[in-house]
Amino acid sequence: MRNVIVTGASRGLGLEISRTIAAAGYRVLAIARAPTDELKEAARVLVGSGGAIEFRTCDLSDPPQISPLVRSLRADFGPFYGLVNNAGAGTHGVLGNMRDLDIEGLIRLNVLSPILLTKYVTRSMMIERGGRIVNIASVVGFTGYSGLSVYGATKASLIGFTRSLAREIGQLGITVNAIAPGFIDTAMTEELNQSQREQIMRRSALRRMADAIDVARSVEFLLGEAGRNITGTVLTVDAGNTA
Amino acid sequence: MDAVSIRDTVLSVFRKVAADQGRTLAPLSDELPLLKCGLDSLCFAIVVASLEDSLNVDPFNADEWVDFPVTLGEFIKLYDRTAA
Repeated sequence: MRNVIVTGASRGLGLEISRTIAAAGYRVLAIARAPTDELKEAARVLVGSGGAIEFRTCDLSDPPQISPLVRSLRADFGPFYGLVNNAGAGTHGVLGNMRDLDIEGLIRLNVLSPILLTKYVTRSMMIERGGRIVNIASVVGFTGYSGLSVYGATKASLIGFTRSLAREIGQLGITVNAIAPGFIDTAMTEELNQSQREQIMRRSALRRMADAIDVARSVEFLLGEAGRNITGTVLTVDAGNTA
Repeated sequence: MDAVSIRDTVLSVFRKVAADQGRTLAPLSDELPLLKCGLDSLCFAIVVASLEDSLNVDPFNADEWVDFPVTLGEFIKLYDRTAA
């Protein structure tokens, strides 16, 4: 069974991604600070199905935990086929009012941690001469949204990381792509009020918001055979909000 | 692992990475400057990853700063010291 690490796997997008790709036959190495009942249930229903979800605790906002985590996953499960850098925070705030510590924490969790995790995971992929990296960015990384300047900066940075790394390790058969979801109904967007939601839908070509399952299926596509010749690109999943 | 085995492991990894990446290795000796050995920086990333796999050490990921060795002999010594 191919191992795919999914960060932020206990809820929201990460949970949906874990469920979807595990159902497609991958062994998901689900990383989060703590397991949720939903994740445990998702792992339980997969038993005997060909896919699996294995949970490991890690606080990705603490970078020194990352290298030992990767070492222990490799020892327990073997080489890695895929990595989905999904964990992140969407802290909302007017830049002028944000605490310096919160800005730094957001950059650490949304940028530094996925870069470090990718560094250690790609070492295993380099030896295997193959692998798939999927970074979950956001349309905010290239469109902008008031109150999300720091978040937008972190997501733009993941896109830059994606493009350069794709060029760096492509010759080893490793693909690196980003997915840029639009506003999706998850805990991260619960701060949006009804009028903001309606505005987002009105401005979307398809007059609706994309769902977490759309993002999860896009991850499955990039991990699968159909994605073998796609690298260094950003797949936007936003029901046409930025079309 | 003793020093001889570490040397053998390092040399064997250099040869394997060069073969996999289609590179021509210069004759390996302790005095050989790494910049002239025939491997590029990506090859060295694979060498370090492979050695971490076989020797369970990564001298470049230690808490203290380590300068990248200049010659093959210094590279092998660094692994000797770290694995000790």
